[in-house]
Amino acid sequence: MEHILSLLVFFPAMAALLGFMVNKESIRAYAIGVSAIEFFLSIILWIGFDASNAGYQFVEYFALIPSYGMSYYLGVDGISLFLVILTTFTTMIALIALNIEKDIKNLILSVLFLEMAMVGVFVILDIIWFYAFWELSLVPMLYIIGAWGSTRRVYAAIKFFLYTFAGSILMLVGILYMAHLYYQATGVWSFALPDWYMMQIPFTTQLWLFGAFFLAFAVKVPMFPFHTWLPYAHGQAPTIGSIILAAVLLKMGSYGFVRFSLPLFPDASVYFLMPVAIVAIIMVIYAAMVAYAQEDMKQVIAYSSISHMGIVVLGTFAMNAEGITGSIFLMLSHGIVSGALFMLVGMIYDRRHTKLMKDFGGLASVMPGFATIYGIMLMASVGLPLTIGFVGEFLSLAGFYRISWVMTMLAGTGIILGAVYMLVLYKRSFFGAVVHEENKTLKDLNAKELTALIPLVALVVILGIYPKPVLSTIDMSVQKMLVLMEQKAVEQSTKDLIINANTVGGTK
Amino acid sequence: MITLTHYLVLAGLLFAIGLVGVMKRTNLLMLFFSTEILLNAVNIGFVAVSKYYGDLSGQLFAFFIIAVAASEVAVGLGLLILWYKRNGTVDLNSLQIMKG
Amino acid sequence: MEKYLYIALFAPLASSLFVALFAARPKMLFTGIVASLLIGVSMIASFILLIDVNNYGPLHVTMMDWISAGNLSIPFGFVVDEVSVIMMVTVTLVSTIVHIYSIGYMDHDKSFNRFFSYLSAFVFSMMILVMSDNFVGLFIGWEGVGLCSWLLIGFWYHKHSASWAANEAFIMNRIADLGMLMGLFLIYWQLGSFQYDVVFANVKHLDPAIITTIGIFLFIGAMGKSAQFPLHTWLADAMEGPTPVSALIHAATMVTAGVYLVIRCGELYTLIPHVGFAIASLGAFVALFAASMALVNNDLKRIIAYSTLSQLGYMFVAAGLGAYWIALFHLMTHAFFKSLLFLGAGNVMHAMHDELNIKKMGGLYGSMKATAILMSIASVALAGIYPFAGFFSKDKILEVAFNEGAYFLWFALFIGAGLTAFYSFRLVMLVFFGEKEYKKQGLHPHEAQNFVIYALVPLGLLAIVAGFFEHAFHGFVTKLLRNYEIHIDHGVEAILIAATLGIAISGIAFAIYMYKRGGFPKSLEERACYKILSNQYFIPYAYERFIMKPFTALSHFFWVSIDTKIIDATVDLIARVFYKSGEKARKMQSGNLSDMLRWMVMGIVVLLIFAILYRPTV
Repeated sequence: MEHILSLLVFFPAMAALLGFMVNKESIRAYAIGVSAIEFFLSIILWIGFDASNAGYQFVEYFALIPSYGMSYYLGVDGISLFLVILTTFTTMIALIALNIEKDIKNLILSVLFLEMAMVGVFVILDIIWFYAFWELSLVPMLYIIGAWGSTRRVYAAIKFFLYTFAGSILMLVGILYMAHLYYQATGVWSFALPDWYMMQIPFTTQLWLFGAFFLAFAVKVPMFPFHTWLPYAHGQAPTIGSIILAAVLLKMGSYGFVRFSLPLFPDASVYFLMPVAIVAIIMVIYAAMVAYAQEDMKQVIAYSSISHMGIVVLGTFAMNAEGITGSIFLMLSHGIVSGALFMLVGMIYDRRHTKLMKDFGGLASVMPGFATIYGIMLMASVGLPLTIGFVGEFLSLAGFYRISWVMTMLAGTGIILGAVYMLVLYKRSFFGAVVHEENKTLKDLNAKELTALIPLVALVVILGIYPKPVLSTIDMSVQKMLVLMEQKAVEQSTKDLIINANTVGGTK
Repeated sequence: MITLTHYLVLAGLLFAIGLVGVMKRTNLLMLFFSTEILLNAVNIGFVAVSKYYGDLSGQLFAFFIIAVAASEVAVGLGLLILWYKRNGTVDLNSLQIMKG
Repeated sequence: MEKYLYIALFAPLASSLFVALFAARPKMLFTGIVASLLIGVSMIASFILLIDVNNYGPLHVTMMDWISAGNLSIPFGFVVDEVSVIMMVTVTLVSTIVHIYSIGYMDHDKSFNRFFSYLSAFVFSMMILVMSDNFVGLFIGWEGVGLCSWLLIGFWYHKHSASWAANEAFIMNRIADLGMLMGLFLIYWQLGSFQYDVVFANVKHLDPAIITTIGIFLFIGAMGKSAQFPLHTWLADAMEGPTPVSALIHAATMVTAGVYLVIRCGELYTLIPHVGFAIASLGAFVALFAASMALVNNDLKRIIAYSTLSQLGYMFVAAGLGAYWIALFHLMTHAFFKSLLFLGAGNVMHAMHDELNIKKMGGLYGSMKATAILMSIASVALAGIYPFAGFFSKDKILEVAFNEGAYFLWFALFIGAGLTAFYSFRLVMLVFFGEKEYKKQGLHPHEAQNFVIYALVPLGLLAIVAGFFEHAFHGFVTKLLRNYEIHIDHGVEAILIAATLGIAISGIAFAIYMYKRGGFPKSLEERACYKILSNQYFIPYAYERFIMKPFTALSHFFWVSIDTKIIDATVDLIARVFYKSGEKARKMQSGNLSDMLRWMVMGIVVLLIFAILYRPTV
């Protein structure tokens, strides 16, 4: 068990290297097998995870370049645990549903390498490695979009790569400066996150560093106005690319906020709370409205991702356990739900080779199974109680209410606008009469597709009804982080805000 | 009295001549000459400074440069002859396959 | 006792899930029967609970934890007390009848099984709504009934109007839900809990301004579900759904959830009488406003829908003025006679082959005696004629308004009572009596199957006798709810009752008199006031014009102009700057060695200059 994290990170990559030797016919089965093993490894991780310990577990430490404080440092806590499971789960499901014949081997190997980078981002505690995994995750995705996408794939792939890459350059500068600060303060170099957590940084420095990290995360999330790469990437990517992009890659940005911005720069986070919240609210409303105007199903879901991520960011900056726990849960639920929605769109695209809503209509009568699952996912997406979507959204908004009720109300319009664009999408493609001749003979979901979708549906319902095991684990680590933030804040006003945000009652 | 300054001025002048040659001439052979002038300008500087400080490593470097320059010319002239045999010219403007 | 609670709650879920297994199959009769039986089981359990609560007091169970984070902890907890058990009994009773009725009504529908699955799911959501012991649990049911309402309004999804109406209902409810959520958040951050008992025990210690805010937010939620102005347009459009749905959801149960919420939060609203008065005023306004629209409408179901709206207004008057038990009483009696009215209308629709225009019916009494009698009973009850159920409950509401000194509200309700009587009998007259207009379309209407009629008989009986349970009801629910006593002189009270009865009877008489003679002259339809009424005060038009259109236009503007032309163009512009400068800079790479050397020299010179100018301080 002590090396399970290393195994989790490098197993997919090793398997991918071995995969070069597997022949083309059996590569799909091989990939599903590998991703299933990886998923079970992550489940073992969860089983072995001590839910009463808020700190890092399964820690592996190996000093690589001690003189510069670079080390191989892995660990997982309540915040990252479920993101790891989400990653392995989504990858597995996406591979099961994979429906591409062209160069399938290369595609699968890219996905496995991508899985390594994604798991790595979530479990690594050494910042240099973190940066490496962070950037590494771009490469397979660039390849997936650029090689298997639709007509404008190269443009979309390059835009995706350059945009996110440019965003994170500043983060590298920030990382180096942080290490330098640490060196100045202690006399030794260290890139280990827990070491950095111990450091109190002067207020103005925090502001600059927060800004440097912020851009990288904001592009990744993606926050308004850095979001325009996302619709292109989703619009052009193959289904598996969209699923992984929406389910996991976006979460890396919001994970960054929780893992780095808040605990490293508590004062700056509080200082920038209102601007960030305003941007988040713009995201929620603006993206929802743009989603409403789309004609392409996939673009609707792409913009809806932006809208939901707005609530994630808002919850993160609520500075209380309710909001942050909620936002992490919302990351999970959005990963599952948007992944499923992209998968569903992919399935209909495979049948009809179009994603435009006007080409459909009346699908509910032709493909009842498809329509049902789509409907369930849609309801989860609009945050209906007892589905997974409600819990995170409710907690995030509830958390931010403590900061400002007006802004919560504005962000809450997202639940109205979300219903608007989703229901309109559903009405236009599933309801009404079947007007197009080609649609009359569409086949309902087949066994392979059902295998991929039913676990998602089950999760949506189960975690909607009983989210507690997940929530309580997240909550504990979040509370520990909040205590840390409160302790290391340099300004009294920050301490007051954090304490106030976590206290029930009072005059506000 | 010839001071260090004089030597350095001479080195600077030679270097400038070499530089102009490098920029202006289009004959490859002439380019080699200009390069030699540049290197020797540096050599003069090295030797002068070495003498001035009483540190031999400058003169050592000068020898080293002479050796490198000699081998460079040897290789360079070899290539030049090859190029002349193939194209019948040693004009710089004929060498443009690296155009971006 | 707990056993019955779980049976009452989960039998509908079991029914829904079981029937859902066959949802995609063609009609299977047993799905309807099983569903009806299971809902019947739930009803019996509810009645047992009613007796138990009466004998042993409320029952409170916590099933399991649901959400917990930070200081927040929300369990799945259920409470069966005097209020919720009344709601449970009402809901399950009407649901059982509607289920049985639907076996007949949906007989020829190819999605017969799916219908029962949705309908049972609705009952389950409604049970959660009324049984939950905390606000978030209520919100689960709240959204659940919204979902089922969406599914059922849009049941015939191939019709554009049906799916449009379904979406409208869902979205309008969502607008109100946001208000409710805000209320919930405020409750949580003030009191640290969502449990009713904790909240109501501590709410009085809060700052009155905060209580007022909570009250307003929660009422916004209630406005959506109970279709109060200005969120009322969805209810009339919801009539696109199958008629049993209209009877169950859009008359008897779901739309009264808002009233239930206000009753449930009575402890809170008692502390803020000014908000209560505002609620009552809005209720009175809606009572009149909706009744006026019902006067001229020609759509069978829409008339009843407007009447529901109007009656909800009455309930809000009572609830707003603090007479919670009276509001609950009217809620219950209304559920009986209004669902009866709708189900009767369903029979008529079937007989008329889904024709809804009452001007094209007439004289159906001849062929549909049983339905005609049942609908007449319901109409009389609705009009509030002694001794029918509506008389007892509605009259009490007028007395409350009078008792509170809100004479203006009383007057509005008084006029409303007259209008109600008139439009109810306008409908009865036009449908069942007068000229047989349907013959022009070559229809041969026939009565519904026998079991359908038998299923309606209990509702008919209840519409007649429910009023006599007033005292028992009062004694029962005021164990929990704040008692409300009416202190009006007996003489005055008698005059009031007489006046209300008088205006109701004259409304009926006027309707019978006018429509016996062939109705109003056509010229009336040209009048401006008629046009306003028949176009529903142009409110749907205004929503379309001033909200939907601008929203769509703005969305398009955001997408096309801002997202594509500004933000994305800026990003591309930056990329293009690099690209273009690279394009320009590649000329440097001429391939000419001299040029390259010149560049090199220039670089050296620049570096030298830097080296000279920049002197490190250290």
